[in-house]
Amino acid sequence: MTATEFALRTDGVGKRYRKGWALRDCTLDLPAGGVIALVGPNGAGKTTLLRMVVGLLAPSTGTVEVLGHDVTASTPQTLSRIGFLAQDHPLYKRFTVAEMLRFGRATNLRFDQALAERRLATLGIPLDRRAGTLSGGQQAQVALALALAKRPDLLVLDEPVASLDPLARREFLQVLMGAVAEGGVTVLFSSHVVHELERVCDHLVVLNHGRVTLAGDIDTLLAEHRLLVGPRTATDLDRAGAVVEAVHSDRHTTLLVRDGGLPAAPGWQAQPVALEDLVLAYLRRPSEPGAAVTSGVAA
Amino acid sequence: MTWLIWRQHRTEVCVLGLLVGLFGVGLLVLGSQAHDLFPGGPVRCAGDAGTSEACTAALRRLDEEYGYIENLLAAFYLMPVVIGAFLGAPLLARELEDGTWQLAWTQAVPRMRWLAAKLAALAAVTVALTGLFTAVITWFRQPFDVWEGRFQYDAFDVEGLVPAAYALFAFGVATAAGAILRRSLPAFGVAFGAFLAARMAVASLARPAYATPLTATEPVAAGGATDQTGSRPAPTVADWMIDNGYADATGRRLTTLEYYELKDAADRAGANLNQFLHARGIQEYWVYHPADRFWTFQLIEAAVFIAVAAVLIGVVVWRVRRRIM
Repeated sequence: MTATEFALRTDGVGKRYRKGWALRDCTLDLPAGGVIALVGPNGAGKTTLLRMVVGLLAPSTGTVEVLGHDVTASTPQTLSRIGFLAQDHPLYKRFTVAEMLRFGRATNLRFDQALAERRLATLGIPLDRRAGTLSGGQQAQVALALALAKRPDLLVLDEPVASLDPLARREFLQVLMGAVAEGGVTVLFSSHVVHELERVCDHLVVLNHGRVTLAGDIDTLLAEHRLLVGPRTATDLDRAGAVVEAVHSDRHTTLLVRDGGLPAAPGWQAQPVALEDLVLAYLRRPSEPGAAVTSGVAA
Repeated sequence: MTWLIWRQHRTEVCVLGLLVGLFGVGLLVLGSQAHDLFPGGPVRCAGDAGTSEACTAALRRLDEEYGYIENLLAAFYLMPVVIGAFLGAPLLARELEDGTWQLAWTQAVPRMRWLAAKLAALAAVTVALTGLFTAVITWFRQPFDVWEGRFQYDAFDVEGLVPAAYALFAFGVATAAGAILRRSLPAFGVAFGAFLAARMAVASLARPAYATPLTATEPVAAGGATDQTGSRPAPTVADWMIDNGYADATGRRLTTLEYYELKDAADRAGANLNQFLHARGIQEYWVYHPADRFWTFQLIEAAVFIAVAAVLIGVVVWRVRRRIM
């Protein structure tokens, strides 16, 4: 694989604020093409990581490479290949929608005004309204249209639907997925909501307490993990570190294992695991240095 | 970028432009009436010519009819901070409080270019507006300056180069405070406070020390002030008086208490005070900066404020460059 086939590579990236580390030892190789979800609870370091990916923050340690270029250089060329939609989709509230588009045109190398206008017309968002007077869903759509009109190779979205109502959320994701389907753009977005991810994403990165705890292709991850249900046991269950989580009820023990589908021990039943349960199991694990588990393309 | 800067800051620029325009036109109208009192131009009444009958009459009318405006000009001490802080405070703070810095710095314009364009444009507007207003005030004050000199606080602080330097200082404080506090209004407040503190401290403590003041001494004349015999004349109104008092025959300066003791002694003896002092060899002294140091002092004070403004802008640039937003 050549470097340009990676949308994003981070090597030992960490970010330290005055109150401590927001992110540590983050090493990722994410392929170009497709949709990557960055999942984690609030305060896990998602926003910090995304801001470093788009060059808004400088990492305290390590390097961030986007589409084969070091983002801290922030040249117009690298900047124009990355689209960013920040949390709460900020817009200049007193600008009209048309002025927001003019802003995009004035500050970008390749800005597809017609594309943006077409998207906004489809959504029935008038160009002469002030951005601040639009509904939250419409503001998010304007911000998305703006980011897509840059024709970016990597589109980064920070909690894009967190502040939207269910209807606006659905509409937003439809537009986003439509853009992905048109091709050419890799999407990296963060979310603290786990359900619905399976439908939308190809790749998953789980972030907890400032560390990557799981990363990989979703299909691969689901194939590698399964639930084993058997009689209750308190003995040491770890088979070569394959047990991710053990849950005991009165009579049964349920194990989430990552064993790549080894035959189950006698008396144990194997079941596939749902993505949401998989993510939650990794989020429940106590954080420990070097616990990152990666698979998929990087392997 | 030009369009963007104009679109984002046009409200401030228009409000300040209107303010400068209204006060400026008002001062031009009143000032041209005041100037009409001096048919040959106010400068012809400068110095000794001011004692001529026509000039005395003109200056008296100026004082009676326009003196109140001169007093109102004191309010314009604040014009530089209003202009500088109003333009500087929102430069970064508004982007930071609305989250739009994340929008602005992820387009294809690198953030340092963005910052340089904004700083240059808004600093230029600051200097232009303050400079324009200062030009009007300087012109308006011409007749008053003839009469009172340009070294008093109500002239020096609103004329020449220093108002633009004050405005740049306020612009620098407001921009840096906005970058650190991330809020426009507190940044404006900080700039206002810093402006008042710096201006007062510099004007009262630093300014008199820009150069060594001159000292003039003259024995007290027996016949009073009109009987001037000394070869070193006392400073005129155009000079900036720092200190004035009496010294004994050896040149030792008298305290106020010692002077009043002498005065009491003269009263008890029933003697004329001047003759009494003259007989004891008492001399009057003046410590002052001559009027022709005006531009030197303006340059020094402007340099001080511009240097501080440059340091503050440096802090802003450093923060943005290091991405510690």
